[in-house]
Amino acid sequence: MIPEIEYHRFSRLEDALRFLSENPDSKIIAGGTDLLVQLRARKINVKKLVDIYNIGELRYISEDSGEVKIGALTTIEELKNSKIVEKYVQPLHIASRSFATWQVRNIATIGGNLCNASPAADTAPPLIVAGARLRLKSIRRERIVPIEEFFRGPGQTILNPDEVLVEVNIPKHSGQWFFNFMKLGRRVSHILSIVNVAVAVKLDGGRIEDVKIALGSVAPTPIRAKSVEEYLKNREATLENIEKSSLEVVKDIKPISDVRASAEYRIEMSKVMVKRCLREALKL
Amino acid sequence: MSSITYLESQKDEYRILDQWLKAREYVYVGKDVKRIDALDKVTGRARYVEDFLVEGLTYARIVKSDIPHGVIEWIRPGRAVEHPDFIALVTCEDIPGLNQVGYYIPDQPALAEKKVRFHGEPVALIVSSKPDSLEELRNLVEVEIKPLKAVYDPLEALKDKVLVHEEHGSNIVLRTKVKKGDVSKALENTDYVVENVYKTGYQEHAYLEPEGALAIPMDGGMTIILPAQYPHLAQSIIARVLGYPQSKIRIIQPVIGGGFGGKDDMGPIIGAQAAIAAYKVRRPVLLVYTREDSFTSHCKRDPAYIRYKSGANRDGKLTFVDVEIIFDAGAYANRGPFTLWRATAHATGPYEVPNVDVRGILVYTNKVYQGSFRGFGNPQVQFAAERQMDELADKIGIDPLEFRLKNILRIGSRISTDQVLEDSVGVGEALVRVAEKCGWFEKRKKYGKIVDGKARGIGLACAWHGISTSRGVPDWCNAYINVSKDGSVSIYTGIVEIGQGTHTGLIQIAAEALGIPVEKINLIGGTTDAPDTGATHGSRGLSFGGVAILLAASKIREKVQKVASRIFECKPEDVEIRDGWVFEKIKPEKRISWEEAVKRCYAEGEELSATGYFFMPKGKFDEEKGQGFAYIVFSYMVSAVEVEVDLETGLTRILKVWPAICAGKIVNPKLAVTQIHGATVQGIGYTLMEEVVIEDGKIVNTNYTDYLIPTISDIPEIDEPIFVEDYFKFGPMGAKGLAEMALIPIPAAITNAIKHAVGVKPSEIPYTPEKLYRDLLRRMRE
Ligand SMILES: Cc1cc2nc3c(=O)[nH]c(=O)nc-3n(C[C@H](O)[C@H](O)[C@H](O)COP(=O)(O)OP(=O)(O)OC[C@H]3O[C@@H](n4cnc5c(N)ncnc54)[C@H](O)[C@@H]3O)c2cc1C
Repeated sequence: MIPEIEYHRFSRLEDALRFLSENPDSKIIAGGTDLLVQLRARKINVKKLVDIYNIGELRYISEDSGEVKIGALTTIEELKNSKIVEKYVQPLHIASRSFATWQVRNIATIGGNLCNASPAADTAPPLIVAGARLRLKSIRRERIVPIEEFFRGPGQTILNPDEVLVEVNIPKHSGQWFFNFMKLGRRVSHILSIVNVAVAVKLDGGRIEDVKIALGSVAPTPIRAKSVEEYLKNREATLENIEKSSLEVVKDIKPISDVRASAEYRIEMSKVMVKRCLREALKL
Repeated sequence: MSSITYLESQKDEYRILDQWLKAREYVYVGKDVKRIDALDKVTGRARYVEDFLVEGLTYARIVKSDIPHGVIEWIRPGRAVEHPDFIALVTCEDIPGLNQVGYYIPDQPALAEKKVRFHGEPVALIVSSKPDSLEELRNLVEVEIKPLKAVYDPLEALKDKVLVHEEHGSNIVLRTKVKKGDVSKALENTDYVVENVYKTGYQEHAYLEPEGALAIPMDGGMTIILPAQYPHLAQSIIARVLGYPQSKIRIIQPVIGGGFGGKDDMGPIIGAQAAIAAYKVRRPVLLVYTREDSFTSHCKRDPAYIRYKSGANRDGKLTFVDVEIIFDAGAYANRGPFTLWRATAHATGPYEVPNVDVRGILVYTNKVYQGSFRGFGNPQVQFAAERQMDELADKIGIDPLEFRLKNILRIGSRISTDQVLEDSVGVGEALVRVAEKCGWFEKRKKYGKIVDGKARGIGLACAWHGISTSRGVPDWCNAYINVSKDGSVSIYTGIVEIGQGTHTGLIQIAAEALGIPVEKINLIGGTTDAPDTGATHGSRGLSFGGVAILLAASKIREKVQKVASRIFECKPEDVEIRDGWVFEKIKPEKRISWEEAVKRCYAEGEELSATGYFFMPKGKFDEEKGQGFAYIVFSYMVSAVEVEVDLETGLTRILKVWPAICAGKIVNPKLAVTQIHGATVQGIGYTLMEEVVIEDGKIVNTNYTDYLIPTISDIPEIDEPIFVEDYFKFGPMGAKGLAEMALIPIPAAITNAIKHAVGVKPSEIPYTPEKLYRDLLRRMRE
């Protein structure tokens, strides 16, 4: 079913990076839950596979005073079971709970979810509102980019062929922050999102001091809902304001029609999900 | 009026069935006997078609048309011949016999000839020495097809501007008709009339195991290990294609990963394709459809377009039903003539309707063809009929349950075809009991109010389903039983185990009739080595397959009784056989073992093998008048469903289902429950999410990412089913058909509940969240 491919497995990051730099025609495989599906459907053509799944040094969740660090090979199930993620990266934790099924979560990695760059990737909106930065590494250099600059389009990122995403950094938030994540699909579980939303809201008393909202599946990449954020900033956190703000989301999104939903439905559902996600975050 | 013809030659059989029916108390029947295949399946020892490794095996895959309608210019292996694994390219020119796999109408080739009629139609087979290179090889094959204009919409196809089969002269395959009384006169005198158009979509069988066949040329013929649902049908079609006598074709069933009707149709087709390839390469060929091939190229539940008009008077009595049913056959008629007839006969729902006019049209389009699927044409029309009942009840202003009870079929009722129901009609009782259990009246009052953007609703629907073939179409069953010298018993039946558990139920029936423990019995099923038993479809496997086994076993029982009566010096009918012991009823302490009795039979010249042929009594249907005998008996189903609708998203959550079934004697309650669960879930998928999306004739969602079936988290609690055991005189111990039933009322039950919750009037399934959302918007605007 899957065409013949040269297969290389590494257990040290450095070896993988070196191989990648010498073989720009190769493709990284982590958990393979996206890649193998694409290979089988012949959506992509690959000559060499570089399996990084055994590189133990890329699988960790740690924290210091200012940041949470997640290795790119951390599985979604590990995110779900992590106390650190639960405490400091709440929207990611919520997203990991409704992610695929136990079998898939056990092998799917956070790095794969981001690098696959699906507009529907469930870890992207949570990481966007959490202000995550991504550490990309090649044999020659290392760079750190804000996650919002990472995605270029469906299946496209700023990664060079010799680069590996090695770590996700998430700042710890101080002050009165409220987070949430929600996903709408056509059935209860095990489903690609029609729209997914993450929110981060900082309150100063009853006033919204800061807010970040991100959506997936409603544009070529996961996106910020800046119009909604603008509307909410410095307003009172009331149900009415939230409802009004959610209507602004149409200015931020560019959904398409496909087998999963029409663009019109996605627009309407974006409003509903932004509203609900905020409401639930703020317990209104 | 209709009268049933009973056969003089079957008098003995009628007597035996009657005896068992009257016994009413059973040792094995009615018990939760554990499935005989359970252990093998959970331990992974079960062998599916792909698990048979035979010497010299080669592998095949279908090469498909990527054009929905066109003329084949040429098919060439192209660069595939250069590949080291390439063995052969097989086209229609390699077929030694007739290139014809049509079921009723001879319109379907095993491999396309001259023309292709749907996107995904098999035009050739590529054979390889290795399974891994199949995909590469099939992409190298060169197929040149000159496109023709295509037609996809059945209403458009009716205009005959594009002909799918020129030689037929029209896209209309055939018409059906059921007529009673005078509808136009009734219309004039009716207080309330409702008219609606209902639409239903394709449904994919979505079995875990896609289609497969392993054809092995041997013994001067062909043996095919084949997941099929009627081995003798596969045998006859494969024989026709190979130009062999039927007796040279041997069909053996492997363990099968789901059928649902799909493998009834696909078994013979894929079996024929594999056999053609094996004939050409003179080696065993394993042909398996990939999941994508299964999506694009195997038959599906027929989409329907139904115009439904019906009326009732102030007193709540139905006055007439006037229906036009258009079934989209797709590219080939396949079972369409029969699904459509079934829909036509059942269009009234299980109600007494004095005036009936139902007209069916089966029409060709350039899409994947229709096929058998649990419910067989009936779910489409029961959706319309039962939605319509709620709309009518609404208009009259009475409760939908009360409205149904006023019209429900009872013993002595005349159905749509004017046939009188003589016995076995439990649906009225089922309705009452379901309503009681689900708290009907209270919830109808309480629900339907919006609380925090959500609303609950409760709805119900009935279904009826004729058992056995319709009209005068012959239907029979048979089995062969042999008792070995050691007293163990072999049963040969054509009934196929497709996951439903029937083989276990059949063994229970044999154990009952012979009076021996189930462990002593071995069943060899799903093979042409058994006598022609008919198909495992139409909910007939356990009931009809069981009749044959009951008859054969009873004949053997009578032999043993005769021999034992000589020992006990009593009358044969006073000999009892139970739990492996043979004794005189009044003196149970003086007993001999079953094994001993068997030894005596062998010694004293009593044959201990028997067949159990039974021909189902049939009547006559007048196709001209649209009246007469429809089915020998009906099974009935009632399901109530409670839903919660999210008004902002259009998502429907099913909270609970209350099923009640009237399938006569329940042979194995646990098996019955699993069938009710499975069918309910399949019904939920059909109603809310399963949608084959076709663009320019091409199915675009050929995977489970985008063809959605329910997962375990979509499944509600399903209440313990109510069994109304309305015994059927020609069933084993009174059993009727069961396995299809629970799917049939689900579409209307769910959509009626949605209507109750939020007031929309669903007229189309799948009723996806987006459709519900749109209907809600429309309603708000109105
Ligand atoms: C049944 C099923 C259900 C699913 N459900 C969901 C769901 O609910 N939500 C959701 O968002 N997704 C879902 N997915 C998609 C998929 O599981 C996730 O996107 C997953 O996180 C991908 O991770 P992986 O390790 O398997 O990636 P892989 O398939 O190994 O890789 C994906 C892509 O990323 C690249 N890549 C991987 N790791 C790196 C790295 N460290 N550096 C650079 N490039 C890299 C690969 O080259 C490839 O292009 C589902 C998939 C399946 C099969």
